[in-house]
Amino acid sequence: MALTIISMASLRSETQIVPVNSPQASSFTTTVQSSLSAVFPSRIKHSLSSILTKFHAGYFRISLSLGGQALLWKTLIGPTHDKSTLRHVVHMFHPTAFLLLWCFALFILSLLSLLYILRCFFYFKMVKAEFLHHVGVNYLFAPWISWLLLLQSAPFVAPKTTSYLVLWWFFAVPVVALDVKIYGHWFTKGKKFLSTVANPTSQISVIGNLVGAQAAASMGWKECAVCLFSLGMVHYLVLLVTLYQRFSGSDRLPAMLRPVFFLFFAAPSVASLAWESITGAFDTASKMLFFLSLFLFTSLVFRPALFKRSMRRFNVAWWAYSFPLTILALASTEYAEEVKGSIAHILMFLLLSLSVLVSLGLTIFTLLNTRMLLPDNDPISGLYHLPIVSP
Amino acid sequence: MDHKPEPEAVPSLLQLISSNQVAGFDNIPVENKFPGPINVCQATGGHERAVSVSISMPSSPTAAGGRGEAKVFEIGVPDSCKASESIGEYKEAKTVKFLSQPMPKGSILGEAATIKDTNQHPSNKKLKDKRYDSFKTWSGRLERQLSNLRGRPCEIESEDDSSPNFGNTEPLPLPLPVDRYFDALEGPELESLKASEEIVLPHDKTWPFLLRYPISSFGICLGVSSQAIMWKTLAIASSTKFLHINLAINLVLWCISVALVAIVASIYLLKVIIYFEAVRREYFHPIRVNFFFAPWIALLFLALGVPPSVTSKLPAALWYILMTPIFCLELKIYGQWMSGGQRRLSKVANPSNHLSIVGNFVGALLGASMGLKEGPIFFFAVGLAHYTVLFVTLYQRLPTNETLPKELHPVFFLFVAAPSVASMAWASIQGSFDYGSRIAYFIALFLYFSLAVRVNFFRGFKFSLSWWAYTFPMTGAAIATIRYSSAVTNIVTQTLSVMLSIAATLTVTALLVTTILHAFVLRDLFPNDIAIAISDRKPKPIKKWFNRRHGSLDNNKDIETFLKFVSVDSKDIEAALKVPTAEATSE
Repeated sequence: MALTIISMASLRSETQIVPVNSPQASSFTTTVQSSLSAVFPSRIKHSLSSILTKFHAGYFRISLSLGGQALLWKTLIGPTHDKSTLRHVVHMFHPTAFLLLWCFALFILSLLSLLYILRCFFYFKMVKAEFLHHVGVNYLFAPWISWLLLLQSAPFVAPKTTSYLVLWWFFAVPVVALDVKIYGHWFTKGKKFLSTVANPTSQISVIGNLVGAQAAASMGWKECAVCLFSLGMVHYLVLLVTLYQRFSGSDRLPAMLRPVFFLFFAAPSVASLAWESITGAFDTASKMLFFLSLFLFTSLVFRPALFKRSMRRFNVAWWAYSFPLTILALASTEYAEEVKGSIAHILMFLLLSLSVLVSLGLTIFTLLNTRMLLPDNDPISGLYHLPIVSP
Repeated sequence: MDHKPEPEAVPSLLQLISSNQVAGFDNIPVENKFPGPINVCQATGGHERAVSVSISMPSSPTAAGGRGEAKVFEIGVPDSCKASESIGEYKEAKTVKFLSQPMPKGSILGEAATIKDTNQHPSNKKLKDKRYDSFKTWSGRLERQLSNLRGRPCEIESEDDSSPNFGNTEPLPLPLPVDRYFDALEGPELESLKASEEIVLPHDKTWPFLLRYPISSFGICLGVSSQAIMWKTLAIASSTKFLHINLAINLVLWCISVALVAIVASIYLLKVIIYFEAVRREYFHPIRVNFFFAPWIALLFLALGVPPSVTSKLPAALWYILMTPIFCLELKIYGQWMSGGQRRLSKVANPSNHLSIVGNFVGALLGASMGLKEGPIFFFAVGLAHYTVLFVTLYQRLPTNETLPKELHPVFFLFVAAPSVASMAWASIQGSFDYGSRIAYFIALFLYFSLAVRVNFFRGFKFSLSWWAYTFPMTGAAIATIRYSSAVTNIVTQTLSVMLSIAATLTVTALLVTTILHAFVLRDLFPNDIAIAISDRKPKPIKKWFNRRHGSLDNNKDIETFLKFVSVDSKDIEAALKVPTAEATSE
């Protein structure tokens, strides 16, 4: 069965997709059209359809970043052993401001989730195409990670309550299910061996496991936490080696997606935080993971040429810069709390300001350029619209 | 035949032609570097790029050895000069037809080049110097500055022609892509030139000493300073106290190491100052680049092995100073691995990469023994992550990997270095030889034995100075064993530590003897460093030329066209065309 891409030529004039029209496609088209027309008036239908077709899981980077920021600020204004002035200053961040931030993050995430659910209903074939793509599949973790982050940073849901537990299960089970599917592919499925599909976004799956572990540990469910942690770390090890080898060079990733290189230092940071949640203190293992993350960050920062091509035009991939920076800042906060030296606090201050600036800048930029957010010829969403022949 | 009138006539004629024909002439030699009878020079190769690599006559190992001086063109020599020099080569090579008779090489060049002075001897000497100019810092300008300062007018005069052409904005030559190194070189250390390749420096002459001095000479410092550490540990450790080793041995070895480091470093510093291009080429060599860590690791070893009588406490600032160059270097190198370009790990992984990893662990060990806390953990973490990656890659022996020697070579001993030093570093960080250290130590021990039982396979390799770098893993394993035996003291561990120490000492002694032998008796301790002199073009139609005795027609067409004009005896086209055949068959 050749997977046909629905070309909504009747709704949009541009033809970015490869139209492989068969009778079943056109009948599907009419079904879609009829279902849509049944629900919405025509103009809204047009714009909604165009949004849904251009939307893809990569847009959840926005909610990832916002969720990360929410978690960061919740940690910063929370109770702490850190007696330094910096922490004191930061503590003055008003709780209402944090609540606003969290609500904003929740709003964005709900909106994105709703859009994606609609997309699943009306354009399931596109979602399937995403799933079969080596970059797109990793972003299917992003919604669940965002929800887990929001859950952890929720101001009114305490970790040990039943609602937290239920919600955790609700968000963690899809992560594990996706794990089983994707990691299994890595070493069993013919066309999808790790050596061919590995790319920096594969680390999102690792991050998913680790965030789940962190959330579980804060609930007190240590065994679940350790289980997810070990899953994440084992695959991180494999992925680290594979990605460093760059077996197939850098051509697996289009130049526009270079910001995802920042995920290289996101994964160890999340691992460090997760281990800290499990053991209760920022011990040597957490420190080592934090230092590794810091080193990788430095190494990427000293390679601006790597990112030049992707910075030419604004696209949603730019949001990939924000979440890793936020998580690194969070890890440095924990580190500074543990180590209590002035260098650690300076580092924390620098990373904190960087992450806030980047997130704020990206938000403002996005709000000013909403039209560019869903471009007509988005090179990234164009990636997923490849005709795929399922075996 | 009269030489005199012709040489005067020829240059102007040739110049005229060459400036017209430059475009056509350009096409010939760029691809055609072959040790054939007609020595096509790549002057135009230098012509099309503002690069300081000067071209020599093809002097590949397969060419007839005593074949004439390499005539080398530098940048900045005016095109007419270049072309006429190449014509000079033609004349010389051909000894036929168009120019009358073999003329003394010196005079041809003296006339063909429009350099003012026609003095043969200085020109010969200068030519010899000029061959290495491309490797000199700023293409020899620095040297000229220095000699200007010293007031050597004859040099200035001769360089007057070239100086206007040495623009101040002369760019650095482009770095050689790593593929060139893989294509041109072979061997476990990528030292030997492949038969089809050429080098840009003369093959038959001994190069200046500094050009022959590789970065791998720092291996001696590594080897000797690690011995100093070993004898210090033997004297101090509780489990080996029964041997009653005197600390004086450590003092003597340490002083020798300091002297060695100072000597090697100053010589290499001279090389950096005078022959910067050669240093750059070493940096871009996929194996030699790892040796750039060696000086700093040697300094770390010195700090680790410092005798208690000299000082007992080192300042913490020293550690930061020593680790900064290692940090910067590894940012660069690991970043290259990660960014997936031409120097990605799957392509360049080789056992020498261990040298870039070991620095982290040695730094962690030193820092922890100095009492620092966070810094050692930082470097340990970074080293561990990258060591895992490297270890897996090397074990995989990826098919895309070109540099792994198929047979065993002493470089494989570097596998033992990282786990043994890591185990000691972790023990220092944790304060005791705990399970993590023991795991790392046992891995090191296993690798050591699996190599030691294969010692037969290590025969038959040409000695090189970099072998010294491969002794420090053996010493490191011995030191780790001594530390382990201090934690777990029984007869087995003590015997093991003694045995490994003896093995390390014997190896170093044997290597010392071999080095002295090569240095003073055989006098080939520093052979011509072929690895840095590879050309940046693949010599393509070599085989064609050899096979067909004509060269490929399209390549030869321009040569022959050129030769037509060149023939002042007004030979006809057929004669000109017959030239290559005659020449080829006469070879």
